[in-house]
Amino acid sequence: MKVTIKSWTGVASWRWIANDENCGICRMSFESTCPECALPGDDCPLVWGVCSHCFHMHCIVKWLNLQPLNKQCPMCRQSWKFNIH
Amino acid sequence: MGDFSVVWSELLKIFPILNGEIVYPLQEIEKEVFEDVYRHLNSLGSVETFTAILDLEVESTVRNILAPKLWKQLASDAEPKEKSDQVMTIAEITAKDGLFSKFIDAVNELYDGYRCLLEMKPRLIRLNKNAASSSDVENIKSTLRNALLARLPPTFNSFISDFYSVHYGLFTKDSILSSTTIDSEVFTELPCPGCNYDHDQCCCQQLTEMVNSTNLKLLEMGLIDRLAGSALTILIKLKIKEHINDTCLGIFDRSHLKQLETWINDVVMTWLTSIFTEWRSGDDINNEQIPESVQAFKVKLTYFMYETFAQNVISQFFSIIIDYPDSTPAIEDLKICMEKIDMRVHLTESLRSALEARILHPGVNTMDILTGYVAAIKAIRHLDNTGVILEIVTAPIKDYLRKRNDTVRRVVTGLTEEGPTDLSEELAKGELIKDGKDAGLNEFSNWENWEPDPFGIDPDVLQMNNSKIIRSADIISMVVDIYGSKELFMVEYRNLMADRLLSQLDFNSEKEIRNLELLKIRFGESLLHSCEVMLKDVTDSKRINAHIHGDGNINESTLFDITSLIISAQFWPSFNKESLQLPEELENEFKKFTKAYESYKGNRTLNWRTVTGRVNIVIEIGERVMEMTVPPTQAVIIYHFQHKSVWTLDELSSLIKVPPSALRRRISFWQNHGLITETEPGVFSLLEEESEKIEFEEMNITDADEEDLESAMASASDQREEELQVFWSYIVGMLTNLDSMPIDRIHQMLKLFASNGGGVEFTQDELKHFLQRKVREHKLLFSGGVYQLAK
Repeated sequence: MKVTIKSWTGVASWRWIANDENCGICRMSFESTCPECALPGDDCPLVWGVCSHCFHMHCIVKWLNLQPLNKQCPMCRQSWKFNIH
Repeated sequence: MGDFSVVWSELLKIFPILNGEIVYPLQEIEKEVFEDVYRHLNSLGSVETFTAILDLEVESTVRNILAPKLWKQLASDAEPKEKSDQVMTIAEITAKDGLFSKFIDAVNELYDGYRCLLEMKPRLIRLNKNAASSSDVENIKSTLRNALLARLPPTFNSFISDFYSVHYGLFTKDSILSSTTIDSEVFTELPCPGCNYDHDQCCCQQLTEMVNSTNLKLLEMGLIDRLAGSALTILIKLKIKEHINDTCLGIFDRSHLKQLETWINDVVMTWLTSIFTEWRSGDDINNEQIPESVQAFKVKLTYFMYETFAQNVISQFFSIIIDYPDSTPAIEDLKICMEKIDMRVHLTESLRSALEARILHPGVNTMDILTGYVAAIKAIRHLDNTGVILEIVTAPIKDYLRKRNDTVRRVVTGLTEEGPTDLSEELAKGELIKDGKDAGLNEFSNWENWEPDPFGIDPDVLQMNNSKIIRSADIISMVVDIYGSKELFMVEYRNLMADRLLSQLDFNSEKEIRNLELLKIRFGESLLHSCEVMLKDVTDSKRINAHIHGDGNINESTLFDITSLIISAQFWPSFNKESLQLPEELENEFKKFTKAYESYKGNRTLNWRTVTGRVNIVIEIGERVMEMTVPPTQAVIIYHFQHKSVWTLDELSSLIKVPPSALRRRISFWQNHGLITETEPGVFSLLEEESEKIEFEEMNITDADEEDLESAMASASDQREEELQVFWSYIVGMLTNLDSMPIDRIHQMLKLFASNGGGVEFTQDELKHFLQRKVREHKLLFSGGVYQLAK
């Protein structure tokens, strides 16, 4: 007997490749959205800092805007720089 | 003194009642005798005394002779008649015990006595010209009435009603004849409706004469109203009931009220008038002739007619609900009745019990209950648009539906199913559900259209329900309202949608999107947010698949095409915990797909849920080629059999990480197809020889077995239990501190926490379930009504 698979329709869930589960700012899961967004994924992406912490982009941007002088990572207090891959 | 005895005997001749004799007609007395007697009395100076004596004598005759005689006569065959005998046919009455004729005889005799007494008066006047005012006809009448009423025997009413039902039968004979639909030939074979004899010996004519003359006598004595009044009323009510039952029972598609009103006027009232006046058929009635008592009767009877009719309709209201909207005329009728008489309490109670008896039991499937519920909403709203009755009547249905665990599922199915169902039609109307706030606002701005709540409903009930009553709610919200919250309903909707999307996997979500848009209009976007994300996942997946397959993004050559539904797990219901380990070479294919995805969407990767999906496989066995679409587990099973034709259950189970019981179920799919057989318990082997094959050519392309359509999602109760699991630590904490607690305390405490958490609502029943499970798992002890931690 020979079994040939012609096509396979599967189901998968996507997730961010990150070293944490939740956004440190809004406490929502990364795969969920920041409080302001409705749609996850492309519409509410993650960003990484050089300190290797990552957040919802909208969350960290909002945070940084609230910091008058030193833009710091809310987790480790190092000055924030976006880590562009 | 010889003179005196002569005078006395003369007097006795003139006034026989002085001797206790009642004779009618009286014998004629010559004028001379009167004068003679008068002279004698006058000379004795006792004319006045005699007048007084005579008056007394008349009264005592009435009391002591006439009245007892009548009753004695009627009671002589004193078996008290039973109620059911009232509708006895005339033939029976006249033939069997002669009640009817006895009544007529008795009345005749009474009448004779009455006439005899009446004669006394003119004679007295002839004797004594001064005696004119002392006693008159009215006086005798009222004495007679009093005397009769004072000793009214209990059976009398049945005599009267027998008599009058004969009368009624005779009277309505013509109208029955004219309205009957039976053709004349058959009709002559039936007994005459008037007298119940065969037609050739019909005695209607005789009977009518007898009855009419008796009635006239009663009328003349002024006895009908007082004596027969109550019996007549009972009789007429009975007739009305019969008539309503005959004409209206089970017919809802036309209005009856007009017809009944004319019937009351034409038949019943004419009959009554004929009893109460000397009217004979053929005369015109004009209103002035109708005595007041009849007018009073009319008002009473019309109301009674309305009441009976309304009761009739109410008792069949369940059928009316089911027939709605064909039964609209009946509802309109009832509406008119309810404006006149207060029937609401009766309506709500009888409808509630009818509903409970008819649909609220385990023998009825949920969809039918829902259909009944929707019909009830429509019908009752037509009857009473304030929604108060609706709220009260449907409360038990809601309570009951809440206990059924497939209710929401049925509602959702009803909403989204193809084809005309009540619910999907309602949904398509696309009206906006009004929030409580808006409704309140409307009430004030529309104060001119304000209507008071219907009266006759227990105000406490009203008060209690007041907040919940939805004034202008539509059917969808009434249905959703079963659970008291939209949330639960939406959760179930989401689960069902997930099931559909995962089982179809055709990336075609247009219909779902349409439904979702309709639901969004009704329930607002926030509740349906997850559903929206789910549908977006479907369209996104389609695009991603196209991208991955399109530009040669998968660099290495592939064994087979993979399409994938890529979901945002956070927004989908949680999956059940089934798993499946793919063979390495297959898994590599998925790794390739994942790699392509990773390079397309930076920083993201895929977690495969291998159990769910659809695989198109071609099986070549001997000379046969089968192409079929199966679930992944089945595909993997058969895939493993191509390298090794005999597997034990345990081996295969540990290899593909499917529990043996589930695996056995999956293998049975292939057993049904005649490819695998269980050679000995727990050992399965491939059937390659053609001879052993069962005919399965026709199954060449089959869809997955029915059982595999089972949900990929965790069942609702599993999800629920998971939610309750949150509280487990609270419960442990509680029981550590307080040692032991009864369930209602625990429930109360948890509700406190739950309301803080703003999240999960649960009933005591659910909690009990949960705690019992913990008891079974030996984490709790239950004794004497309290729970304790197991030591």
